[in-house]
Amino acid sequence: MTEPIESPSQNSEDSSRIDEFIQQLIGKLTSRAFKNQVFWSLGSIILALVVAAVIMLMGGYNPGAAFLWLAVGAITQMDQVLWYASPLILAGLSVALAFRCGLFNIGAEGQLYIGAMATALVAFLFSFPIVIHPLLSLIIGVLAGAAWAFVPGLLKAYRGAHEVVTTMMLSYAAILFTSWLVGPNGPFWDGSMVPQTPRFKDTALLPLLFGNYLHFGFIIALLAVIGVDYLINRTVLGYELRAVGHNVDAAEYAGIDSKKKIVTALAISGGLSGLAGSTEIVGTYDRFIANWSAGIGWDGITVAVLGNNNPWGVLAGGIFFGALKAGGNVMQTLASVPVEMVKVIQGLVVLFVAAPRIISWLMNHTQSNREDVINRPMKTLPRLLSASFGLASVFLGLGVARSIMLTATPNLMTTIAAIILILVAVTGVLVFIADYSGDPRGSTILLIITVGWLEAAIAFFVGGGGVEFTSISMAVIAFVFWLSMRILAKNASEEGDIQ
Amino acid sequence: MNLNWRSMYRKIAVLAAIVIGIIALLALPERQQNIAGWLVSTTMQMATPLVLAGIGGMYSERGGVVNIGLEGMMLMGAFTGAAVTYYVRNPWIGLLGAIAAGGLLAAVHGVVCVKFKGNHIVSGTGVILFGTGFSTLMLQLVWKRQGQGELIRDTIPDIVIEPLRGIPFLGSAFSVISPVVIFMFVLTAASWYILFRTPFGLRLRAAGEDPSTLDAAGASVEWTRVIGVIISGCLAGLGGAYLSIGYGSAFAKEMTGGRGFIALAAMIFGNWTPTGVLGAGLFFGFLDGLNYFIQIYFPVLLPFSNYIAMLPYLLVVVALGLIRKSVPPKGIAVPYEKERRG
Repeated sequence: MTEPIESPSQNSEDSSRIDEFIQQLIGKLTSRAFKNQVFWSLGSIILALVVAAVIMLMGGYNPGAAFLWLAVGAITQMDQVLWYASPLILAGLSVALAFRCGLFNIGAEGQLYIGAMATALVAFLFSFPIVIHPLLSLIIGVLAGAAWAFVPGLLKAYRGAHEVVTTMMLSYAAILFTSWLVGPNGPFWDGSMVPQTPRFKDTALLPLLFGNYLHFGFIIALLAVIGVDYLINRTVLGYELRAVGHNVDAAEYAGIDSKKKIVTALAISGGLSGLAGSTEIVGTYDRFIANWSAGIGWDGITVAVLGNNNPWGVLAGGIFFGALKAGGNVMQTLASVPVEMVKVIQGLVVLFVAAPRIISWLMNHTQSNREDVINRPMKTLPRLLSASFGLASVFLGLGVARSIMLTATPNLMTTIAAIILILVAVTGVLVFIADYSGDPRGSTILLIITVGWLEAAIAFFVGGGGVEFTSISMAVIAFVFWLSMRILAKNASEEGDIQ
Repeated sequence: MNLNWRSMYRKIAVLAAIVIGIIALLALPERQQNIAGWLVSTTMQMATPLVLAGIGGMYSERGGVVNIGLEGMMLMGAFTGAAVTYYVRNPWIGLLGAIAAGGLLAAVHGVVCVKFKGNHIVSGTGVILFGTGFSTLMLQLVWKRQGQGELIRDTIPDIVIEPLRGIPFLGSAFSVISPVVIFMFVLTAASWYILFRTPFGLRLRAAGEDPSTLDAAGASVEWTRVIGVIISGCLAGLGGAYLSIGYGSAFAKEMTGGRGFIALAAMIFGNWTPTGVLGAGLFFGFLDGLNYFIQIYFPVLLPFSNYIAMLPYLLVVVALGLIRKSVPPKGIAVPYEKERRG
């Protein structure tokens, strides 16, 4: 490669540009919005881990060991983490891009299969030199994925068919179609017991980067992140896509052909999904096996929403999910916590990410409670005690329910007792919420939880389980709290009357 | 006027199709008639979870809350139904447990979406992940095995209608029918009535179409929406329980197999109306039934089963492209804030 010799002036301009870019980056990283984003994400993860720890305790696992091995597994196996992450990032980008244009590409899984299938065909049917072969097969894969999403785009734009249905139906169709292609009697079956294609040519395979797993697909995923970021934020097309996503009517009014943009967005989105399948099939596998992707496209949706549909967020979300997956395997073997726990943690993280206001709610009320404790301790302390009683009810309710199910002979009444206890635990959460925020309905909920604890004790007694002291004492405590809250409220209203 | 003619044509076409179908059915020999009846009964069985969850999703989305978490709620229902039945040995209490579990998970979704004004799709994704992971985790805790729980003997008993037994087509189609399947039809009618003929239905639709009107009328938008979401979770849980203790007889890991998403598709395909969801659900159920039909009665085609199974999905895409525009409720996925800050 021979570049034209650059003049010094251009050179200095370049360096000043780089400076400017770094300045911008620092500005972005220290901006309030970014800090808030990081704060909320970390807060969500911590809250999710706390809830997950409660679930693990109830299941009889050791959450400390689980989290320790999860972290150790993720940190020591960086190659696996990034290997898991790379298709997730690409699929996540695909879903995120569609979301930016107001479209829900729920069928990323199918586009991924079609892309992988097209890549597989190029990879085992043709021979090309080393670099050209994977490049060509990846390009074909991208085009195939784009074509598979192009059709729903057309239907959405010109016929008003909802993209959730069409992309999903095409997704199932793609999975079945590829299964047929590589299955017995299919044209690309290799004749073995397994529905799969013949082995790819060696020239088509992507090289490993480091470790035993991580292949060149990760670099492609990184490039895709940069590319999508550029496309969305720095180009006219990206601006138009976002405009359509924000408000179709306004975009139309501004002279943007929203129909064309919808088709384009879905096609690019499908291309990215196709790329996810293609890199994975020539990077990790050496042949196309029916049903090979264990839901990469579905996870892509989660990664996209976790990353707030921002390409860099998707990158972070994909690596986070990869870390959970890689660490989860270690957690299962060394802490003997089932790997499904990882999915529970993922779900909780996403749920908390969905509602950043939960964290700001907690922060605000912690602040005001702290002030209240100093200013009016007599009124605030019973309320806070009652809130902590609500939390205790959650733990004890679940714990007693668990011990009932484990020790007592399960019959109708004891099972009902356990169910009531679980409902009591839910009510405990309500008690916490109401009393922590100073909601006057808190006392009513306390009365409900009293009845719940009593009922559980009665059901357990009738079921032949004997007298259950925890429930009874909890009922008594709840009743005392309710009484004191009532008296306090009465005093407060009398004071108000006097004033 | 134009629209009237169109609906007339459609009615005439449907009527003609039914008449031709009946005539064709009567022309068949008895064995074939029984096979057709079997197909009808399978269709209804496969459609039941889809329609229950789909109508559930409709309650949520009519109220303005997107509910893509149906899959997770169905799995929670399927697990809880199986676990409670396993302990109590009574499928009806199992069903109640499943309804409660689905409703509980939906309540979380509702609170996150409505009270904390979270993103509906993000929260729904969280619900799916949580439901999938939690049900599989609990499967291992309750039955101490992986993949599939123990067989449950006390499944929901089928209703046997004796007088229909001997009749060729009707006998194989309707003589043995699950109460949940019957409930599906009852639910469709009831939902239509609730949605379009009761004050609650009006409020629910207002919450989805134009919440500020509902607020001005003095009803609570938040409560209406949360109740809609909880109903959707209860119905999805029931649909899931039908899989584990009605149609099947054990809970298996991820046993819904994407039915929550198909239910979502049925809801959109049915244009957010109860009858539409029923029709779409029956159609998707028919596709499943057809697949079994081919496997049992045309083993010659078995190598092509994947190919044949694919065709109906393509058909749906073509049909959607040709037939109708889907119009979701207007205020969907938009959190309602009183006196929105400019």
